[in-house]
Amino acid sequence: MIRTLVRVAGLLALAGFILLPFAQTVMVSFTATMPHPGVVEGTIGLVNYRNLMATPELRASMLNSAVYVLLNVALCLVAGLPAAYALARYRFLGDRHFLLLIIAFRVTPPVVLSLPVFILFAQIGLVNSPVGIALVHCLFNLPVAIWILSSFISAVPPEFDETAFLDGHSRTGFFFRHLIPAIAPGIGVAAFFCFIFSWVEVVFARILTVTAGKPITMAINALFGFQTDMGLVMAMTVLSLVPGLAMIWFVRNHIAQGFTLRA
Amino acid sequence: MQPFDNRAWFLLLPALLLLGVVGALPLLAVFNYGLHDIFTLQDVHWVGVEWYDDILGSGRFWASLGRSLLFSTLALGIQVPLGILIALMILPLGKRAIWVLMLCALPLVVPWNMIPMMWLGLINPESGLLGPGLAAVGFDWKFTAIHTWALILAMDTWHWLGLVVILSYAGLSAIPPAYRQAAAIDGASRVAVFRHIELPRIAGALTIVFLLRFVDSFMIYTEAFAINAGGPNDATRFLSIELGEEIKGFSYGQSAARASLYFLIVLSVVWAFVVVTRRREVQG
Repeated sequence: MIRTLVRVAGLLALAGFILLPFAQTVMVSFTATMPHPGVVEGTIGLVNYRNLMATPELRASMLNSAVYVLLNVALCLVAGLPAAYALARYRFLGDRHFLLLIIAFRVTPPVVLSLPVFILFAQIGLVNSPVGIALVHCLFNLPVAIWILSSFISAVPPEFDETAFLDGHSRTGFFFRHLIPAIAPGIGVAAFFCFIFSWVEVVFARILTVTAGKPITMAINALFGFQTDMGLVMAMTVLSLVPGLAMIWFVRNHIAQGFTLRA
Repeated sequence: MQPFDNRAWFLLLPALLLLGVVGALPLLAVFNYGLHDIFTLQDVHWVGVEWYDDILGSGRFWASLGRSLLFSTLALGIQVPLGILIALMILPLGKRAIWVLMLCALPLVVPWNMIPMMWLGLINPESGLLGPGLAAVGFDWKFTAIHTWALILAMDTWHWLGLVVILSYAGLSAIPPAYRQAAAIDGASRVAVFRHIELPRIAGALTIVFLLRFVDSFMIYTEAFAINAGGPNDATRFLSIELGEEIKGFSYGQSAARASLYFLIVLSVVWAFVVVTRRREVQG
């Protein structure tokens, strides 16, 4: 009895702690924090969301973010799946070292690499392009994708592969027709983590978009000025949460499954 | 037992190629820049390890290093036990635990530059939900160092607690029920169950939590800078804030040397951690 009470109190406290900043943000996003034509300061309404939709740069920034995030997820899955399969199914010379190597890349602070990445990408014309950001986000997302995917593949018994080969499937045929459907939840979880880490990242997204291709995070930064319309900023923030929330919903049943592999 | 086959390396090629271009190449470049004085990209002079001498000889560097280490220690010390506690608490909820997991995951999807904005809005003395209350008890994050620290720690915990909860829950929920039943028959205490059954099973996931949280808190930039720009009186001037200042000041050679140094610090901590955990695995 007392245990249940403690648990309920604890969970309520947790919910309060996590939801308070969101409540504040949503509240401000529906408040006119500056006088607009026909709207008095302090009124509650959709004025910020209307202004946001009427600003072409803000609309474009959402598209820019979506493009490089999706591209990054695709890159991580395409390069990550074969690597994860190799790590889950085979032992080979240097496999432990490869794991250490990807951990090393995952822990490299973006701020350390920001300067040379900018110079390198400027030389090959990848500045201001979503391709550049999608590529560089693989630095921290690919290791995460490999880790999650290989723990899901390990959970599939090796006999599954052998039966498919005995049935006459080629390796590629097996990959697409059997393995990928079998680990679909794992692909979902890996995509989820790649998606959110790419969506929220700001260091690379800032230095790689000098004049064009600004992502949603930088569009929000650009709203700050001499007189900042906080309502508009918060409305934009609320919108920037929507894709992430949708992703959480899609992977909710599998979110805690992909982390059983030992490093 | 997995078969031994070196041809597996072919499957790693795409990943290696990608990481080579966006990871290894820039890293080599950083080390190289750090040994030069760079005025413009055309006007470059070899200076050897001079920058490293400068940085290691400055008191500011050591003070920032101390602050960053303290911050990481506090962040890990709060978030890891708290995350495990929450995971243990929601374990008996079964299917309904998913709702708590989703709740905890919410802050993970907020763009990093907006997190300090949300918190500054929350504690704004005039318009924030918590502002008037905090102002009444004398909370002053602008000029009182300990309050700034508390704010950044609360914000960081809010941001990352979900990751710890999700990873711990993943490990805990994978424990077969038979283990717990056996312990219950033996009359093991709750503490003993945690120490001997649960902790060993989540050790792998916790290793990852420790590494990720160490690196991200040790190199905290976006959030910490937006709160008080390293103030008051440099009290929250972390390592990454010094690096950010140098990059903004176009001092490329020095900032590259500093970046290399940070990378080496992070890598040696990670390496030491992995070696220690592996040794323990072999023994245990």
